[in-house]
Amino acid sequence: MSTLRHAVADLGAGRFEYTASRRLGTWLLCCVGVTVLLTAISLLIGTTSIEDSLKWLLSPDAQSSVVLWQIRLPRTVGAWFAGALLGLAGAVAQGVFRNPLAEPYLLGTASGAALGVTICLMAADASVGGLALTGQIGVTGAACIGACAATLLTVTLSRGVLQTASLLLSGIVTAFLLSAVTSLLLLTKPEVWREMQTFLLGTTSFISWSSALLLGIVLCICIVPAVLLSRGLDALTLGEDTAQSLGLSLPWLRLTLLGVVALATSTSVGQVGIVGFVGLVAPHLVRETLSVNHRQLLIAAPLCGGALLQAADLVSRWIIRPAELPVGAVTACVGGSYLVFLLWRRSRDG
Amino acid sequence: MAEARRQLAPDPVVLSCRDLTVAYGSRIVFEGVSLEICAGQWTAVVGPNGSGKSTLLRTLAGLTPAKTGTIHLQGRPLSAWPRRERARNLAWLAQTAAPTELTAAEVVALGRFAHSGWLGHRKAEDDASMHRAMRATGSLAWAQRRLSTLSGGERQRVHLARVLAVEAPVLLLDEPTTHLDPPHQEDVARLLREQAHRCGVSVLSAIHELSLALTADRLIVLGPRGVVGHGTVREALAGDWLSAAFCTRVDIVEHGGVHLWRPALTENGAS
Repeated sequence: MSTLRHAVADLGAGRFEYTASRRLGTWLLCCVGVTVLLTAISLLIGTTSIEDSLKWLLSPDAQSSVVLWQIRLPRTVGAWFAGALLGLAGAVAQGVFRNPLAEPYLLGTASGAALGVTICLMAADASVGGLALTGQIGVTGAACIGACAATLLTVTLSRGVLQTASLLLSGIVTAFLLSAVTSLLLLTKPEVWREMQTFLLGTTSFISWSSALLLGIVLCICIVPAVLLSRGLDALTLGEDTAQSLGLSLPWLRLTLLGVVALATSTSVGQVGIVGFVGLVAPHLVRETLSVNHRQLLIAAPLCGGALLQAADLVSRWIIRPAELPVGAVTACVGGSYLVFLLWRRSRDG
Repeated sequence: MAEARRQLAPDPVVLSCRDLTVAYGSRIVFEGVSLEICAGQWTAVVGPNGSGKSTLLRTLAGLTPAKTGTIHLQGRPLSAWPRRERARNLAWLAQTAAPTELTAAEVVALGRFAHSGWLGHRKAEDDASMHRAMRATGSLAWAQRRLSTLSGGERQRVHLARVLAVEAPVLLLDEPTTHLDPPHQEDVARLLREQAHRCGVSVLSAIHELSLALTADRLIVLGPRGVVGHGTVREALAGDWLSAAFCTRVDIVEHGGVHLWRPALTENGAS
């Protein structure tokens, strides 16, 4: 502070540049490269051998075109969008709750979606009217409605969004409550259980171009307010009081961003079921490799999440081919192992 | 900023409170406090632990609701200020800051939040304010370093720079010298005095270090039962407010025109 005496009168100014920018650019390019590579590989992997798939690619006929461009490509594109939504929701949730362990399903969205799907399947099974209703909204719509209702229940139980601890506890209570209701319903209709399993373990096999398009549109809708409010998340890292003293409206920020989390998660759950760990791991992977503020994180985490789910989808299709593993099981194994590795490294480094 | 400061000229009282009572549940922290903070003065808030120094600053910053009483900023009720406009006119420094992975420059840039808006597009004016603030606190050298890699004292200087970067006419600083070594504490005291005297800023800071607090223009002395006194340092010493506040003998000696607190270690004969 040797220049202290003259500092106040000093009008000189320098541009403050963020050194992470260049590394971030390289990182994002790598992510895009990996995504393109995984997309290309995904065209080759399916129930047929890689050689046959290559032949299809090089000399396509009507049948192979349908498999490649109407089944495999929308599936991998949709998986990327779903992963990106989970990555974005995870990064936003961790910023809003100021907790690195926060994940997209924290508000009870997964349990809400599961209950929505259960009710939908039971209604379809029970009566013609129920079947008609199910046809109207679909399993995806039911999952979205359930997830949104669960978020509303969580916010209502915590009496607003101001108290972080209260919101977290309400999310846990909602998740347990709705899971219990789902279990009770399934007990009365065991035949629905098998259909539910696909949803609960997560699957990308039902993604069509329309699903992929929906996921893409929702990603665009969610990423805009999230990035615009990223400075608010930066301010929030300094503490709620400091953020408020800087002129931030906490209720408005929280409500908007929790809306983003709810919309991103419910759409993803509606299309691919409950896929764990992607939303938790993607922001961690970014932070482990880059020094980023929230604006950079909210761009990088969706890219990372998308590539992660795409890779998990490939593994799930490859490992026991021609059969498939549930993609949620793959993400749970990989994501869980990665978190254990992080914990081990932190305890080693003290 | 200059405009905001010019507005202070007709009315020297920039921040005032009347009959302020604050309670946490049933525990009353202080009651019936009335104060007037003038432009261009550095006022130090001193008192024993738990006397409500931080609570007073938080209440004046609008972060802790008062049970009764009114607060006026530049003659206008604090609650009537639009959020962002208030943030441009009143900056607050927390006693302890939450850990963050942002760089020092990013943290200081947040001081311009109320000026630059949600999109965060920084103008040349914002960069100039950040530069001045970081230079003033000696934190310019580690602008690109993450806060988590800095020492406690270095972090404190970055947070002080963030508050200065607001360029508000009123600064409420809760223990701005925490984690700082004595020479840097002295630098901060000089900086606060300079902000008050040369820029016309009203600085209100809670300070534990009594010798440092006695270099301020005015003192607000808080005791277990509220405000013991509010006035110049000479008035505080003449009235022995510090002894009354701390409920023990507080020895202040004058050396070279500076008032120093002398610890009374009489049992060991070491005083």
